[in-house]
Amino acid sequence: MTPASIFFNTLIVIASPQPGQAGIDLAYKTIKVKLCYAPISQKDREWRKTEDDLAKDKTCQHEIVARPCRPSNNTFTWTIKKDIPTATYFIRAYAYNSADEDVAFGQTTDYHKTTSLLEVHAVSGCTVPLDIASICLSVFAIASLFGFYLLVKKRARASLNRVT
Amino acid sequence: MEISHRADDSCQNRFALPVDSEHKSTEFRLFSVAAPHMRAFHLSWISFFACFVSTFAAPPLLPIIRDDLNLTSTDIGNAGIAAVAGAVFARVAMGSACDLFGPRLASALLTLITAPAVYCSSVASSPMSFLLVRFFTGFSLATFVSTQFWMSSLFSSRVVGTANGLAGGWGNLGGGATQLIMPIVFSLIQHMGATSFTAWRIAFFIPALFQTLSAYAIFFLGQDLPDGNYSQLHKSGDKHKDKFLKVFYHAFTNYRGWILALTYGYCFGVELTVDNIIAQYFYDRFNVDLHTAGMIAASFGLANLFSRPGGGILSDFVSKKFGMRGRLWTLWIVQTLGGVFCILLGQVGSLGVSVAVMLIFSVFVQAACGLTFGVVPFVSRRSLGFVSGMTGGGGNVGAVLTQVIFFRGSRYSTEDGITLMGVMIICCTSAIALIYFPQWGGMFCGPSSKGTTEQDYYLSEWTSAEKEQDFHSSSLKFSENSLNERGKRVRSAPTPAEGTPTTNA
Repeated sequence: MTPASIFFNTLIVIASPQPGQAGIDLAYKTIKVKLCYAPISQKDREWRKTEDDLAKDKTCQHEIVARPCRPSNNTFTWTIKKDIPTATYFIRAYAYNSADEDVAFGQTTDYHKTTSLLEVHAVSGCTVPLDIASICLSVFAIASLFGFYLLVKKRARASLNRVT
Repeated sequence: MEISHRADDSCQNRFALPVDSEHKSTEFRLFSVAAPHMRAFHLSWISFFACFVSTFAAPPLLPIIRDDLNLTSTDIGNAGIAAVAGAVFARVAMGSACDLFGPRLASALLTLITAPAVYCSSVASSPMSFLLVRFFTGFSLATFVSTQFWMSSLFSSRVVGTANGLAGGWGNLGGGATQLIMPIVFSLIQHMGATSFTAWRIAFFIPALFQTLSAYAIFFLGQDLPDGNYSQLHKSGDKHKDKFLKVFYHAFTNYRGWILALTYGYCFGVELTVDNIIAQYFYDRFNVDLHTAGMIAASFGLANLFSRPGGGILSDFVSKKFGMRGRLWTLWIVQTLGGVFCILLGQVGSLGVSVAVMLIFSVFVQAACGLTFGVVPFVSRRSLGFVSGMTGGGGNVGAVLTQVIFFRGSRYSTEDGITLMGVMIICCTSAIALIYFPQWGGMFCGPSSKGTTEQDYYLSEWTSAEKEQDFHSSSLKFSENSLNERGKRVRSAPTPAEGTPTTNA
């Protein structure tokens, strides 16, 4: 597979066999392309851990596309969704046979996952209305405390006047 | 004598529930909201519930938050520790605040002052800011002390275990309810169109608003004591305003408070730790999805509906026949069994059995919390708040210790950590055997052969100068009302009346 590039917030992956590589095997029925975490984004994050057993593997958590395998016209343009977190990634394509078993894969990086990595910076969930609401309600809570203090003093003075 | 009888009758008529000489209710009617007793009960458990919801609002949403804020396992572990660490000192401070200003003002103040931390959780943007908001929100768990203090001030020894157990248990319920509430609120907001990284932030406004409203309710609807609020009673001279250093000294030098602080760390502290780690444990070890992990985690905390109150009720029940010795033995047995089931939980490898063992473990560990606060009200009368605060703070120390030793970094797998935590529970619980009340006895010894009475024990906290000014009157009444703790020996043992000079009306 050739390396991928990022154009603004879309991702273009071009997959084509190079001379000398095996052609597309007739056994490949479906191709699933996934966005996978690079080792640096897996460090100290057990929920992104790589396991040999694919059923338990959590390296590739975001699916880009899944479609039937075609000998040509394999370009797919993908808009990075807003729930993709800030991290370093690579892209992997899994090939499945007709029994939906994984039979091959290819990736945009080398075996040790150190080259041609992609960095994605997520859109922050913070918005201006949220900031304003947080600050206003916090100030209101603190102001209420002063209100309580004044009320307590007033009531205590009133009960003292009643006693004397 | 006639005059004082008439005064007692008019006082009795003022209250909806039957009361003793301190005007503490001798009955507990769950479905009543009569002021001041039952109303205070409902106000205190609801506000404590709100604080628990806020403090543990983050764990069920961590799979989203950890992606938004780019958190590592270490960041998450540190934030979990911070959430329970703040309350260690806050609980002790809360104890003295209750002794000095009364539980109503103390809890309204704390609940309101920590609400901004929950609002600001919505704007956290880095691991450090996430840790800080969890740290400051965690301070609100100190409202536990004010609920226990308030219940101990309004309910007599016959029902204090029940009142404390229900208030504490139903408050702790918040730690379970939040694991259900937050994912549901998050989904709703997502369905309304927000992205996941914005939806979790908006979701935090729910616990924040709930907390703010409960603070208002306490301030306007609550009352410290059956006869009024501290500020009014101080001004009118009906209540002596005690000195901080005296209160501190009598709590600090009472070794029983320290032992209970240690053992509480291994029932309540363990409960807090499990609240923090259990959803991720089931999610990662058994590969269940987020909702299922949340439901399992919720069921741990939701057992508090009956298990902690059950502990309190059990404490009162055994006390009728066996007195304080019964309370101590039951506490030791139940908490040790909690440790045994904790060891088992770490060992089982199948999902169904694991959930079943977790539920049994939750019942025992939470009942132990209720049983602990069946003993705490009797350790000190003058420094009740401070002793409650120390015990409560000890609970949080236990949570910090267990998370630091067993659930941070990768030294132990989570299941090994759980097993080792069970071993530590059993070892530390054995300290209960060291608690001894000269007037009632301990686990292995009967009451003192010198014939020490309840009055001797509680009035030893006051100097003769203070007694001359009648500052000790509430301790005197309390010692009379705590005769129940002798169990069935009430008639045979020496009573306070034999030694007290009678005052004539």
